[in-house]
Amino acid sequence: MEFAYLAAGLGAGITAIGAGVGIGLIGKSAMEGSARQPEAANDIRTSMIISAALIEGVALFGEAVCAILAFK
Amino acid sequence: MRPFLRRLLLTLLILTTGISLTNASESAAEKEDENRVDILSKVQNHYKWDLSPLPFGEVELPRIFLYDSQLYVYGSTTAATASETFTTKDHQVVPADGGHITLDLSISTHLLFFWFSALITMLIFIPLANRYRKGVGKEKEPKGVFQNMFEASFIFVRDEVCRENIPDKHYKKFLPYLATAFFTITFMNLLGLLPWGTSSTADVTVTASLALLTFIITQVNASKEHWKEVFWFPGVPSWVRVIMMPIEFIGLFTKPFALAVRLFANMLSGKILIFSIIGLIFVFAEMFGPAVAYGSSVLWIAFAVFIYVIKAFVALLQAYIFVMLSALFIGMAMEEHEEHEEVEYAGA
Repeated sequence: MEFAYLAAGLGAGITAIGAGVGIGLIGKSAMEGSARQPEAANDIRTSMIISAALIEGVALFGEAVCAILAFK
Repeated sequence: MRPFLRRLLLTLLILTTGISLTNASESAAEKEDENRVDILSKVQNHYKWDLSPLPFGEVELPRIFLYDSQLYVYGSTTAATASETFTTKDHQVVPADGGHITLDLSISTHLLFFWFSALITMLIFIPLANRYRKGVGKEKEPKGVFQNMFEASFIFVRDEVCRENIPDKHYKKFLPYLATAFFTITFMNLLGLLPWGTSSTADVTVTASLALLTFIITQVNASKEHWKEVFWFPGVPSWVRVIMMPIEFIGLFTKPFALAVRLFANMLSGKILIFSIIGLIFVFAEMFGPAVAYGSSVLWIAFAVFIYVIKAFVALLQAYIFVMLSALFIGMAMEEHEEHEEVEYAGA
């Protein structure tokens, strides 16, 4: 089943794109927020990390499916 | 003329890479059994601790089985397979008479390193707690680099993680669990960076049991409002409530599940990444010959060191995220919605 490997590779790449765009958007907004209001930088950083972790969780589900496809 | 040249070069490049890749896969298939670097076996759980460059060689760990309501304890896998009761089949220990092992309580490398990190946590924090009991750090100043360092990290967990997310009245109750989880996970992650070490958080059973603890603590301490939100969501029409009920109910379990998978996948992917990058040297040796492999190895080693440094950072970050989200879930479940409803009434 060579197609499983192809699917796993493509899936991993697409998942990475999604997570990258999502975390990039979070980073962008956090940067803007803390530049506008430096005194809120700490709170912004905390919530940035939380939302980045949540996005990462979804991305890792995708990667886990791809890994199962590749390693089974 | 120039775009044409560029296109030609690009086409050539694509074609040649395609050819060399197919060549590599053919020759790789031929040599598959000879000289294969098995990355997956490097990241799996083993019943022997590989100390191979040292004189000890591979240390086999004890095997403990519960089979046929009787406990069998062996010093090593070899001893277990040499006995009459157990034999080996597909590299796994199975009972000789064809039955199934009821409970496998064997000591594996991941369990061993879990114990190590728990031991390190205890060795650091119990003497530290005794110091505070004696008054050093409470009435007098904290003494030494050691105490200052761990006091700072403990206060970080208390203030940034606990107090931020859990209601002020209750946060002290959860501080012991969250601080212990934070430091144990950190040490587990960091032990994987040492030679002969493995990070036991790269095992889904370890992270799942940690997430299970968080799940139990969350549900036991949940407020009435939390259960109301799960089974009968307030403030929406009743047909929406029927739809919300299964979603919220599944949400109870996806939170700890995501918690476990996140930590596990992060630690595992870091390991596999380092092995894969070092494996590129061997792939290059097969594709372009040994000279290219030697030349490019400088680059790959530099890359691997870079990933290693990133992993050291991720080890701390993932421990932080784990306790952070645990605290968040506990805080969310404990939240009492008095202020919220007042606002609703004021609006109506």
